[in-house]
Amino acid sequence: MKRATWTPVDAARFDPGHGERALAYAAPDGAFSLYNDYRSGSSFLVRPAIAEGPESLAARWRTADLADGPRPLGPTDGVEGYGVFTFPYGPITLGVPESGRFDLRTYGERILSASVVGGFKRRRILAGLAGLPVDEAGLRVERIAGNFAAAHVSAFLAAAESARGDPVPIGELWVRAVAQEIQRAYNHLHVIARIAEAAAQNVGLAQAHALAEELLRLQGRLFGHRWAFGALLHGGPPRRLDRDDRRQLPARLSTLSARFEELWSLFLGSRTFIDRIQDTVALSRERVVAAGGVGPTLRACGVPWDDRLRVPSVPYTDLFVDLPQESGGDALARVLVRADEVRSSFSLLEQLLDRWPKRPGESLAPDEPIAPGRGLGRVEAPSGDLVYDVTVADDRIVRVGARTPAEANFPIFGEGLRDAVFTDFHFAFESFGLVFAEVDR
Amino acid sequence: MSPASSWLEAAARRGILTSRYPARPAAQEEIPLTGRPPRPVGGSVGTPEAVAACPVGALAADGIDEGRCIRCARCLATGFEFRGPVETARLRRDDLVVPYAAPARPEDAAAPLVGLKRSLHIFLVDVGSCNACNLEVLALANPFYDATRLGLFFTNSPRHADVLLVVGVPTEAMVDPLRRAYEAMPSPKAVLAVGVCPISGGVFRGSAGLRSALSDVLPVDAFVPGCPPTPLQVLDGLLKLVGRSRPREAVPT
Repeated sequence: MKRATWTPVDAARFDPGHGERALAYAAPDGAFSLYNDYRSGSSFLVRPAIAEGPESLAARWRTADLADGPRPLGPTDGVEGYGVFTFPYGPITLGVPESGRFDLRTYGERILSASVVGGFKRRRILAGLAGLPVDEAGLRVERIAGNFAAAHVSAFLAAAESARGDPVPIGELWVRAVAQEIQRAYNHLHVIARIAEAAAQNVGLAQAHALAEELLRLQGRLFGHRWAFGALLHGGPPRRLDRDDRRQLPARLSTLSARFEELWSLFLGSRTFIDRIQDTVALSRERVVAAGGVGPTLRACGVPWDDRLRVPSVPYTDLFVDLPQESGGDALARVLVRADEVRSSFSLLEQLLDRWPKRPGESLAPDEPIAPGRGLGRVEAPSGDLVYDVTVADDRIVRVGARTPAEANFPIFGEGLRDAVFTDFHFAFESFGLVFAEVDR
Repeated sequence: MSPASSWLEAAARRGILTSRYPARPAAQEEIPLTGRPPRPVGGSVGTPEAVAACPVGALAADGIDEGRCIRCARCLATGFEFRGPVETARLRRDDLVVPYAAPARPEDAAAPLVGLKRSLHIFLVDVGSCNACNLEVLALANPFYDATRLGLFFTNSPRHADVLLVVGVPTEAMVDPLRRAYEAMPSPKAVLAVGVCPISGGVFRGSAGLRSALSDVLPVDAFVPGCPPTPLQVLDGLLKLVGRSRPREAVPT
């Protein structure tokens, strides 16, 4: 069984004039293409639905290239006017626990326009992978964004396996899915906790925070490491996922899932919580699609887009994947999608344990390479589609390109802040689930 | 049992979740397997295979540099196991280099903030982390760890802070903002390096464009190794700063 096949297409279609240094591939379902420009390091998905035309998209992505140091993520055309000044928020602020700056154009209270400045913590990780063996590179890839480690490593390994033509044991793919679903639930719960904190819902914050901690402890028990670092690579910490361990898990999961249901129904009954996120930074479907938004941000404005369904891959082909969707496009819709995805992740974990492969050691052929020695790997990370493009020669990494969900969603967040007020900031920011570490890789 | 109908009921039903640490030793579920540093099984030396298997150069024939170990478990196949003490934070960088044969040196450096024993205000600065350390530090606020019970508070301004808690491997762009945050803090003040990134660069040690250690930029008062350290290990580092930490737990052999 093959996992996916990509067809090369003419890159000049997306980027006239620069097509010669770029490569594009069409997805098996023909629904979209992947565009990679290696000189500038940009890479993005192109969908037929893009309204403003791929040329301007390509131009926008070129601004987020590999330049060192702080740089704007997205457009910087600030509003001018009497009394309007730039309020720089960051790079150090505990409101956003990572380092990055938000340049807010304002005359006080209302945000007239905003631009996000990233690159403060750029670590040049991808460039440093060249020459390393795949497993050693994996140790660095999982530290690109620690809270999305399972998604990053799974996409990276899928790309490397495709590049090398390595068959993969089926059980390994299931273990990757277990780690990814636990981390999806954790990250969505973390978003809910942060929003509860901003809304001063202290009991809700404590309960959501406690549930997130329990998921980290579960991960620590199964993988030996609270963030599953190393656990999906060769020679990682011993796992506790054999038959006896798996037998105990469903009871634990249903306790956690019942706790989540109770918690979420209390949140939905809290007007102070809902009022702060309803209509906050509402984005139209056209705007998000045109800007190339991904993940819960995209699904919250009525686009049923999820890589777990779009790119048929084991084990998701054997499971029922729920696809939560909302149409509001505001912070409430994004949070509702996330809450539904927590539910869906608990259900997927139960299904994974229930339908564990009879012969987990049996091998599966990897995806077709897109060129000799070069493969693509894609997963649905907690905040959206994540793509890795890995070239390998003689078992060592030659080049790695990646397109992370935060790269796609940061410019949309900056644009969306237009006309919001200062107090909306944290609700808006957390609802996008953005991580600077993913753009400063 | 029917679901709780109010926050009060939900909270009351969960009961007290909070750890007894540091009054009692850390419970097993509070520390994952990789929460302890590796030590050779039985024997007292690291084999050449183990030294070669370590991707970050933490293992030597006679000891381990806990300030470099990322807990990747590559050494487990060569006769190591995770069994060092849970209380890993040290006030001196040199003390993080632990010989396999001898017991760890007792902490004999003077706690820098002993006058602030009852209450500490902490300012978190990320200078290039993967976000895992940030989240582990913030997890100290969750009900399982509840750092406020020990008088530890996070503050949003360096002007109110006693401790500058730094995570991540320092990038050039963050050196200046970090120095400015440090200068804005009132004295007495201390710097806590959390995770192997600010201690030694961790897995990114020697990468172009990154400072090799936080101590090149600021004077560091305590070091919390781990990749990322667990919340209790961060707690141990904070308590060491004020001289309230438990002595290092004896290593089971």
